[in-house]
Amino acid sequence: MTAQHAYNAQRSATAPIIAGRDVRAGGAAGASAITIEGLTKKFPAPGAEQDFVVLHEISLSVDEGKFVSIVGPSGCGKSTLLNVIAGIERYDSGAVAVHPRSDRAAREPRIGYVFQSPRLLNWLTVENNIHFVLEAQNVPRSRWRDLVAKNLEMVGLAGQERNYPLNLSGGMQQRVAIARALAIEPDILLMDEPFSHLDAITARKLRFDLMEILQRAKPTILFVTHDLSEAVFLSDSIYMMSTKPARIFKRVAIDIPRPRRPEDSEIFDLEKTLTRDFFSVVEASG
Amino acid sequence: MAGRLEDIALRVASIAVLLLFWWAAAAAINDSQVLPGPWAVAQTIVQDFGTPGPEGESAFFDIGITLARIFIAFAASMVAGIGIGLAMGLNRACERALLAVIPLMLTMPTILMVFLAIMWFGYSQAGALVAVMAVVTPFVAVNMFEGTRAMDKSLAQMGTTFRASRSLLLRKIYLPQLMPYIFSAFRYAFGQTWKIVALAETFGLKFGIGYMFFFWFQQFNIAQTLAWVMMFVILMLALEHLVFARLESRAFAWRSASSAQGGR
Repeated sequence: MTAQHAYNAQRSATAPIIAGRDVRAGGAAGASAITIEGLTKKFPAPGAEQDFVVLHEISLSVDEGKFVSIVGPSGCGKSTLLNVIAGIERYDSGAVAVHPRSDRAAREPRIGYVFQSPRLLNWLTVENNIHFVLEAQNVPRSRWRDLVAKNLEMVGLAGQERNYPLNLSGGMQQRVAIARALAIEPDILLMDEPFSHLDAITARKLRFDLMEILQRAKPTILFVTHDLSEAVFLSDSIYMMSTKPARIFKRVAIDIPRPRRPEDSEIFDLEKTLTRDFFSVVEASG
Repeated sequence: MAGRLEDIALRVASIAVLLLFWWAAAAAINDSQVLPGPWAVAQTIVQDFGTPGPEGESAFFDIGITLARIFIAFAASMVAGIGIGLAMGLNRACERALLAVIPLMLTMPTILMVFLAIMWFGYSQAGALVAVMAVVTPFVAVNMFEGTRAMDKSLAQMGTTFRASRSLLLRKIYLPQLMPYIFSAFRYAFGQTWKIVALAETFGLKFGIGYMFFFWFQQFNIAQTLAWVMMFVILMLALEHLVFARLESRAFAWRSASSAQGGR
């Protein structure tokens, strides 16, 4: 219990303040993990009269335990949206709420993040890379060993504890990054195009493995990508984003039963329809 | 392995050639008052360690004093330099304020700084410490500042995303990325420090290698003067190669880790 309290105290001391409207710790019970309403974010544009609108009136909701993707062209503000949800970027108006899992005692939600590149600390062993986030989240030291072993095993890297990241291939490094994000037992897992830097074969293998991993660790996932087929294959639902203005123009529920295969005709057909919709909107908006 | 042996052989050979030249020159001059040979100097060194010198202490005492002075001054200027450099790199106001001052400090010629310190503090340990810090700290700070500029910001962002505290970021993300800069500053700072300490000892501090060197210089005892110079050079080279080189290869173990699978 004391550990839990220490955790809360530390978190509230370092929790970011977001435009005075931070409702992330709202803790409203129910099935919703992330609720965003009318979120707008602007950057001051140098030399221009008006600020550059990065995110325009974004509203979305992610239910607990679901895999939701946001698909949009490069530069549409997808990463910014994830950063706002992670609490490391401010926003101008709207409301963002992130809730802890309902089967857990009420506390601040834990957010895991997998970036486009692995962003590992190359001077630390694989194990110490995971220790880094466990220490950051004030997870009691007594649990570190188990959490490292369990999550490395889950991503298929059992026995690599003492190895250094630079000894691993790009795909393996990204697996370590996934293990790192899962090790904190996140309520929400944010993934920012995590497979886009990998070759097609490695990416495909990792997508399959991710599906399997998620059968075991069941966090809510918000997944950002520009790859529609990847989104259709992985997700329970997809939000489609356009650029200029950066807004969500369509939500699609994907009811194709799991386990899925990327070659399934249902997936292929849906991808085709969505691609058509997507480009009609994106090309029209320039 | 063969490459390494060859490397060692070459080093030994080049030093041997240097000694040979010295020996030949001494033999040609044939006057130990002008240039004693390497063997005579070596004997003088051994003798200095074994018997009390002019101040009643053996060479161990003076070497110990010099080392203590070097390490205190070196540690103080490294810590100050790293601290200032980090503050400049991580804080905009510090950066602007200090970027105006540091070039002034860097332009100050070392020897003038030593004289100024002696004028202000007299012939005291404090004078030597101030002289070293005034010369070395700005250099280390600038190096650290450059290092913070070259840091990968995406890693700090990763740390922040996972709610790492400032001290955790510093220990696991900032400092490791600054290690190459710290080590390059380390070498330069160490070289500067021992040169300034030797200078201060020569000009006025009591005891120490520089003091002994100057003592024998005034006696015009060339064998002893050379003996103390050699002691100093050998000591500094030993420190450089045995201590710093090892620290460095340990700090960067992760870089060469790819050749030693699962290594420490």
